[in-house]
Amino acid sequence: MTAIGMPAVRVDRTRAVPWLQEYGVYIGVAALLVFNLVFTPHFLSLENFRTQAVQVTPVLILSLGMALVIATGGIDLSVGSVMALSAAMISLYLGYGPVVAVLVALVAGAAAGAVNGALVAFAGVQAIVATLAMMIGGRGLSLVLLPQLDGIRNPGIRELGAGEALGVPYLVWISAVLVAVVVFVVRRTVFGRRIVAIGGNRRAGELSGLPVRRTLLVVYVLCGLLAAVAGVLATARLQASDPNSIGRLIELSAITAVVVGGTPLQGGRVRIAGTVAGAVLMQLLVSTLIKHDLPPSWTQIAQTAVIIAAVYVARERGRK
Amino acid sequence: MAIDPSDRAERAPRRTATVLTAAGCTALALLAASCARGEDEAAGGQDGGDTAAQAQVLEDAAGSGETCSAEQAGIEEFDLADMKVGFSQSEAESNPFRITETASIEKEAEKRGVELITSNAQSDFAQQISDVQDLMSQGAELLIIAPLNSDGWEPVLAEAERKQVPIVTIDRQINGDACGDYVTFIGSDFVEQGRRAADQMTEALGGKGEVAILLGAAGNNVTTERTKGFKERIEENAPGIEIVFEQTGEFTREGGQSVTEQLIQSNPDIDGVYAENDEMGIGAVTALRGAGKEPGEVEIVTVDGTEEAVQLILDGWVHGVVESNPRFGPLAFDAHESFGKGEEVPVELIISDREYDADNAEEERSNAY
Repeated sequence: MTAIGMPAVRVDRTRAVPWLQEYGVYIGVAALLVFNLVFTPHFLSLENFRTQAVQVTPVLILSLGMALVIATGGIDLSVGSVMALSAAMISLYLGYGPVVAVLVALVAGAAAGAVNGALVAFAGVQAIVATLAMMIGGRGLSLVLLPQLDGIRNPGIRELGAGEALGVPYLVWISAVLVAVVVFVVRRTVFGRRIVAIGGNRRAGELSGLPVRRTLLVVYVLCGLLAAVAGVLATARLQASDPNSIGRLIELSAITAVVVGGTPLQGGRVRIAGTVAGAVLMQLLVSTLIKHDLPPSWTQIAQTAVIIAAVYVARERGRK
Repeated sequence: MAIDPSDRAERAPRRTATVLTAAGCTALALLAASCARGEDEAAGGQDGGDTAAQAQVLEDAAGSGETCSAEQAGIEEFDLADMKVGFSQSEAESNPFRITETASIEKEAEKRGVELITSNAQSDFAQQISDVQDLMSQGAELLIIAPLNSDGWEPVLAEAERKQVPIVTIDRQINGDACGDYVTFIGSDFVEQGRRAADQMTEALGGKGEVAILLGAAGNNVTTERTKGFKERIEENAPGIEIVFEQTGEFTREGGQSVTEQLIQSNPDIDGVYAENDEMGIGAVTALRGAGKEPGEVEIVTVDGTEEAVQLILDGWVHGVVESNPRFGPLAFDAHESFGKGEEVPVELIISDREYDADNAEEERSNAY
């Protein structure tokens, strides 16, 4: 794969770079797949793909919300803490049954998103500051609510985390449906167009009468909601609510997936398929290094290399 | 046409922002405070009431044999009952070890009627340094410290020396002069814990097979020492056991689960998993269960001795657990007491940890934490 890409870069830089921006992440995924097929024993099995798909679920769902926020030119650092908040809610409200507990967790996520959105859209606080506050406060609140890990024995929640339908785990179904919904929203709805328009030029959006603030608010609420979904699913998979360690540093993985997938951090553009591929790329990378039993420090170095490569390609775009 | 946007920016949005932020925060607060109902009452047993059986016991032969007395340290003798004790905890009380450790210190202070002030650094080392300084300025005359790191304590040690405050460190060591900088260190021998885990693994596998290690957090002496002891002993005693996989699970359940899922994909024939703490071991069990394995198909050995892990021995999933006893209260106060009386206190007190396996898990379960 790279053999095809390399000469192209040398031959025609102006054509190759946009092409890399568009398809680089898919090339990365394909390269890792080929590498694993050749060098990793037992890679080509249904079980293995199921494991990877299940493990990528939380980051994938977070990165959907993150992509929308980044498309508006914002950022949401609080997603990991919102996951912790929803994990705590599950444990606190499970006495009313799994459905109520999940609903409460989702409401908590939406409420956290609403606070972020209100601060960003209406109070004019910078996204990085507003969501940083929620990142710290949300984690603190969830630890106050549930100071230690709490095992979950409820069969409904455990089934959600470990069960499957038609041979595909529920977690994978849910993330697939969410991806489809977000793709539809971005491509086919007015709301999707507004997100990109605001990210491209907020002032122009305001002047042409777009409901800029309302749109921003909804975007942050959606991001909080998706983070809560990720928190519920991660809790179900772990069969325990663990607000202390759930979602720690996961916001960085989500941002990485979005950026590697070709959505520029300055906003105005969004690529959901690329984001999905970005999340899959990072998951495959980590899994490859673990399966080959390389030291964990290598994983961090490899992730750095991918991010730098992605940012380098994005820089070329900015220069033109 | 529409209202001038700059005009709109001035009035309504501010109010909307306040209303929305307030509404969001209220919603969170309501969810947090009101009518929560958990699945059931959490299992108790973590009140830190140290029964005789649960209490730490000292290893006879361990330690350097060096001792320290008030005279040697140049500190006046004192009566523990009249002193104010400061306790600095390193990590959040969100795992059973830290919960039990703090509870044990508090319980012992209450039992002896000693005034205790506490702080928690939430895994932030700079915070712990200022915590201890705060404790001293609040009038702590004796210190018990559970250090987050071993190095970097100079500012605290200097101030403690000036104020003549004796220090007992628990569970991790402070690098400094024994008897000069601190009175004594009370803790487990982590290398020995690794060796004992290796013995359990050797027994479980009959001395033959492929084993994976779930490492703790990188750059932590607990991780390096538990790994070192395990590998040493396997190399010595069980040449038939091969360590084929070493990845970090960061001491968390989620980490243990994810890494084990990858492990059983790439090494389907793995025979044993050594988890360097209970949480990762429990995560490994969740992963094996999810993959449709039966209890005992993969032998698991862990370190810590939490209730949940000991229960998993009874369920057949875990072969054995090496304990790391966090109930430091009695020994820590004993050390301060004898030091105050002018007696010789060993500068290193190594505790002897118990071990759980299928033979004793049922009767010893009450000692787990």
